[in-house]
Amino acid sequence: MIPGAKRWLVVAIVLIAIVSAFSKQFNSYYLGIAIDVGINIILAVSLNLIMGHTGQFSLGHAGFMAVGSYTAASFTIACTKHVPESAAPFLLVGGLILGGLLAALCGLAVGVPTLRLRGDYLAIVTLGFGEIIRVVFQNMEAVGAASGLSGIPNYTNFFWSWTTAAIAAYAVAALVNSTYGRGFIAVHDDEIAASAMGINPTRYKVTAFVVGAFFAGVAGALYAHHKQTINPTGFDFMKSFEIVVMVILGGMGRTVGVIIAAILLTILPEMLRPVAEYRMIIYSLLIIVIMMARPQGLFTLRSSKGANT
Amino acid sequence: MSAPLLKLDQVTIRFGGLTAVSALDFQVNDHDLVGLIGPNGAGKTTVFNLITGVYQPTEGTIAFAGQPTAKRKPHQLTKVGIARTFQNIRLFHSLNVFDNVRAAMQVHRTHGVRQALWRGKAYRAAEKEVEDRVMDLLEIFKLGRLRNEDAKNLPYGDQRRLEIVRALATQPKLLLLDEPAAGMNPTEKAELAGLIRSIKDRFQIAVLLVEHDMQLVMNLCERITVLDYGVKIAEGTPTEIKRHPKVIEAYLGEEQIA
Repeated sequence: MIPGAKRWLVVAIVLIAIVSAFSKQFNSYYLGIAIDVGINIILAVSLNLIMGHTGQFSLGHAGFMAVGSYTAASFTIACTKHVPESAAPFLLVGGLILGGLLAALCGLAVGVPTLRLRGDYLAIVTLGFGEIIRVVFQNMEAVGAASGLSGIPNYTNFFWSWTTAAIAAYAVAALVNSTYGRGFIAVHDDEIAASAMGINPTRYKVTAFVVGAFFAGVAGALYAHHKQTINPTGFDFMKSFEIVVMVILGGMGRTVGVIIAAILLTILPEMLRPVAEYRMIIYSLLIIVIMMARPQGLFTLRSSKGANT
Repeated sequence: MSAPLLKLDQVTIRFGGLTAVSALDFQVNDHDLVGLIGPNGAGKTTVFNLITGVYQPTEGTIAFAGQPTAKRKPHQLTKVGIARTFQNIRLFHSLNVFDNVRAAMQVHRTHGVRQALWRGKAYRAAEKEVEDRVMDLLEIFKLGRLRNEDAKNLPYGDQRRLEIVRALATQPKLLLLDEPAAGMNPTEKAELAGLIRSIKDRFQIAVLLVEHDMQLVMNLCERITVLDYGVKIAEGTPTEIKRHPKVIEAYLGEEQIA
């Protein structure tokens, strides 16, 4: 129920384009963090569809990210020599789509058998799956095995990172805020009641999983072309947890809250750099305090999911 | 007379050694208002779960509108026209009143993922139509002014009514009400009786009512089936049921002693 929602997406992309036109003047350290923020927004928003809206606890999001990352990186590395410099954006977009699609395919392959499980069981299975993906890459000589893949062209810039984030946020919000999409939340609330209302729970869960995995793959592709080196340890379950924390902190199923949480949790560790060795302790303590003070999520103003997207 | 809307033929279900429902014959015709009663644990809710596909019968067949329902999932049966409410209210607690009903409009929705993402003209028109239909339904049940309220914050009686609205949103041919009067006071029960009657007339559907409250069932239903320990012990009009010796023994007698 967002009238003219597409208009907001266009406005957002125009704004991002204007800001990115001046991006050369920014300190490159801050610019790098800004790009990280965009990537984390995509990850958090996509996991929010799976966890927040549809209520399926997934601990394997970094696995989908890895699939997208490696796929896109291999693609651009293979192609970049054969095309002129000016074709870079097309290569990147191609890589994003390719990475996203392959991740979505993995999402489908994992989702169909596992989404019959619930709660803790699903969490464990997805955790295991994420680790399997990581270990596969760790042993795949073609992508550098444990030492990782390097020499990835630096294609990701502020514009692509944030534009993709805007598209991801729009896609999830638009999907959930339709009559079709109310089914995700119905499945989250009560599967038995949902199926009595003609909603196919398995179908909805798999859809959420596939769409979520797609965007995780896209985020991974952006990440690869931002860091220029990727290695399997970057996609371990700590990364999955990080995304889970963003979703919980932002308030499960609140798109705006989750976006703000993604921004905060990306910037916070950087801001805490001056306190060096205490950094992670303070970071963890802050999360504990926030969770105790606002268990419903940091930015949850009202309890119904209807209006607050 | 064509085939009955719902027909249970020698339906038996066993859970391990326990026979919850045994060789039940039972039918509901179009526009019927039928009651299913019985003491606690008689298997009434089990019958509901059999009809809606939550359980599969161990023996016997169930047919809806002439089609056997075996192996069909609850959401598929909802699509062909069976809707239900729950004994313990099961609303979608994180959605508001409006969205609770909207979520139940899946069956007749014309758009999918692509349309929801693109939000073209056809999509917006379809969503407007959905909104109008939801609001119409809510207004009929005097819930329109509560549309933005969280479902879980509604008073008990309103929650029960909202569950009925939600079930009606799937445009059923048969509405199953599982103890709709549970926890209601006499005034609310009288209102509910009027409501059920008006639903049947207005929406031209059949209603199958499982209820504890004898008076409500006797006043409301044209035909009543009595279950005891999973076995049908009587069937007939309210007057016949009232006089039936087995019913008095199993149900009413029990109450008189207590």
